[in-house]
Amino acid sequence: MPEATIDGKKLALMLMEGASLLGKNVKKVDALNVFPVPDGDTGTNMNLTMTSGIEEINTQPQEHAGTVAKYFSRGLLMGARGNSGVILSQLFRGFAKAVEKEKELTTYHLKKALEEGVSTAYKAVMKPVEGTILTVAKEAAQGAKKSSHAVPPEEWMAEVVAKAEQALKKTPDLLPVLKEVGVVDSGGQGLVYIYQGMLQALEGKFTEQNEQEASPSLEDLVKVEHHQNAHAQLSTEDIEFGYCTEVMVKFEEEKLRTHTFEESSFREELAKLGDSLLVVSDDDLLKVHIHAEYPGEVLSKAQAYGSLTHVKIENMREQHQALIRNESSESQGYTTYKPMEDGSSDEEDKDASPTQEYGFVTVSMGKGIEELFKGLNADEVIAGGQTMNPSTEDIVKAIAKVHARHIFVLPNNGNIVMAAEQAAQVSGYHVHIIPTTSVPQGLSALFAFNETAGLDENEQAMNEARKQVKTGQLTYAVRDTVIEGLEIKEGDYMGIAEKEIVTSGTDLQKTAEGLLEKLIDEQTEIVTLLRGEEADEDTEHTIITFIETHYEDVEVEVHEGGQPLYPFIISVE
Amino acid sequence: MARVKIVTDSTSDIPSELLKKFDISVVPLKVLMGNETYLDGVNLTPERFYENLEKMDGLPTTSQPSPYEFETMYRRLYEKKGNEDLAVLSIHLSAALSGTVQSAMLAAEEVKKDFDVEVVDSKRASYAVGIIVVEIAKMAQSGASMEECKDRLSQLMEDTPVYFLVDSLEYLQKNGRIGKASALIGSLLKMKPVLSLTENGEVYPYQKVRGRKKALSVIRDALQERYKDKPVHIGVAHAGDVGTIDELLQHVRDVLNVQSEVVTTIGAVIGSHTGRGTVAVTVTGAE
Repeated sequence: MPEATIDGKKLALMLMEGASLLGKNVKKVDALNVFPVPDGDTGTNMNLTMTSGIEEINTQPQEHAGTVAKYFSRGLLMGARGNSGVILSQLFRGFAKAVEKEKELTTYHLKKALEEGVSTAYKAVMKPVEGTILTVAKEAAQGAKKSSHAVPPEEWMAEVVAKAEQALKKTPDLLPVLKEVGVVDSGGQGLVYIYQGMLQALEGKFTEQNEQEASPSLEDLVKVEHHQNAHAQLSTEDIEFGYCTEVMVKFEEEKLRTHTFEESSFREELAKLGDSLLVVSDDDLLKVHIHAEYPGEVLSKAQAYGSLTHVKIENMREQHQALIRNESSESQGYTTYKPMEDGSSDEEDKDASPTQEYGFVTVSMGKGIEELFKGLNADEVIAGGQTMNPSTEDIVKAIAKVHARHIFVLPNNGNIVMAAEQAAQVSGYHVHIIPTTSVPQGLSALFAFNETAGLDENEQAMNEARKQVKTGQLTYAVRDTVIEGLEIKEGDYMGIAEKEIVTSGTDLQKTAEGLLEKLIDEQTEIVTLLRGEEADEDTEHTIITFIETHYEDVEVEVHEGGQPLYPFIISVE
Repeated sequence: MARVKIVTDSTSDIPSELLKKFDISVVPLKVLMGNETYLDGVNLTPERFYENLEKMDGLPTTSQPSPYEFETMYRRLYEKKGNEDLAVLSIHLSAALSGTVQSAMLAAEEVKKDFDVEVVDSKRASYAVGIIVVEIAKMAQSGASMEECKDRLSQLMEDTPVYFLVDSLEYLQKNGRIGKASALIGSLLKMKPVLSLTENGEVYPYQKVRGRKKALSVIRDALQERYKDKPVHIGVAHAGDVGTIDELLQHVRDVLNVQSEVVTTIGAVIGSHTGRGTVAVTVTGAE
């Protein structure tokens, strides 16, 4: 009997099934986040990362298994969001490297691929933490290593899944915080779903599409769609539909009476106007994303069902011209955006050669915070952070827009640091990551930059500054939990000092005071309040009065931050 | 051998008792407040200046002494010299900040045929010039030659760091003296940058800091690193912020081997460019 093998098509099916089983369970994975904060969650991040990989293999022929793995890995690498997404992309990067030359895969190849994936991922993480997705990946690969080469792939994969499940159950023993909150590791759980999906595909079982309980939002899909296009299009002239058009319509009953809305026929109608079409609707709203040559027609068609509440039209030819200056090439499965000094002598290169010595890319939510960063000479402020972690590619693109010899990236969120590091490797520029984990850290670090000082001196000063500021964040709990002895109810306000939830309660003012008491000490000179979207003036005034009466020497500075979900972000220095 | 006579300008912010004691001559710059023109330190004391500054609309402007005013000073010294030979050493505010040196040089050309005037751009401002001038004046008084004075002067210019804090960058900016600190202007966050002067006497941000206490400790650390246990002379100058100057002095005394200290007020001309609340410290190695 010939050895059972997996061809490119089968591998693609496995990966797709892995992605769709994860997609089906996104909310379950999200719910495993240790902190009950309303932030970008592991499940969402991993799901978007997988989606990016699947989009990439869908654009390619799927005969050669090694090639499928390679494209999948490239999609993951650029689409990686959040630390778990980055680790996932590294697991598959090793996987792809191991099977690169194989047209078909046997159990032997799969074993090698999983092992290579684990070692690549461990190398990519500076301080590997056990009890996470890394442990689950490692134990699954080690456990399955023991089984014979001779078993068919599906039997072997079943062993992988079993070991992964066992390792997942053990994560609370390795990571105390998991045990305290009573959950298993979220990233590990995500990986288990992916492996289970891959096994299902081998066994010929498939998740029904309509079972997907949580599909990515329109915004997320647009990001993935755009990423795919950046790879697919070779020159600006090739862009057939020149305008990226996004429309949001609030349905109006009157209009619906004469114009019944039917999503599938609406979709067909729009498909004639362009490509990259995405249509999402519910009872009240219709959201459309399309690349069209005549955006006006799209608007008229959408307006027929209600009133336009949001319209965004971008000229993609112009954007693309900026982008293609960064000629992409492949090396070790990376898509590299080459710096211009090493590039060809194309005319366009002249525009793109570094015009300044230093440049800054940072990440934040909120108009006000963006302005604070711009005031400190940040060149690119990627919208994202708490609610949406930018992908590796988002960061790479922002880096490519800054024409500087040295580019500092300040991620301002612990869950974006790894994606930033990955972006630094892929970008091909001289990128220096200042691993800021909060907006106050980012502001302080950027603040400390001194144009008259040298590179090393600045890097040191910025890292110094990042460590000197203390961050307080006020937000609310998205579920009940008990953590560090605090009993927190869904909807309660929580005060987070650095990385620890220190107070909670139903009263924002009291929670703020408790938080400030933890943060302010004798060294404190300045407390800066960044007012969020949900901040109200009364609370702001009482917070200021509280500080002024209790801490005589402390100066209070208030800025409009405009960030969602966090009524106040507090910087204490 | 010619006797050396030291001339400086009013921006050296040297206290009057030291001027008298070491026989230093001062040419005043001018300050225009509203419609009134004042002679810095002559008919406008720092105290009155800062009082008026609070009340006035807009900003005062300043102007360098004319070459004629320098020439008048040099000639007056020449007339008083008696039987001795005379050489003048004229030490001034950084040319990157003011045209004062330019005027002095033109005046020196005019008097050249009668006697020698050496004009030096100290590349410094306020008491960072003053501390050097006082050291050189001491030497001149004890009979040092022009050559000896100039050798020591170039030594001191290499060894007179100055750090200063301003309450607001607005004055430096509006008067066009902000130099390399201009990058700080866009910040919405309040800052207390520790400023210094480059080798060319231009303002630059030594370090950006938030908060006065942190700024003071940055200055302390910089000076400690540079001088360690070496004996030093220090000078501190303030523009109406006596509280901070005490704190600054305490910081400096804590870490340096201080031989002498001078506390002085930043005069109207420098004050026009830095604003009220400015404090500065300058240090130089003692022999």
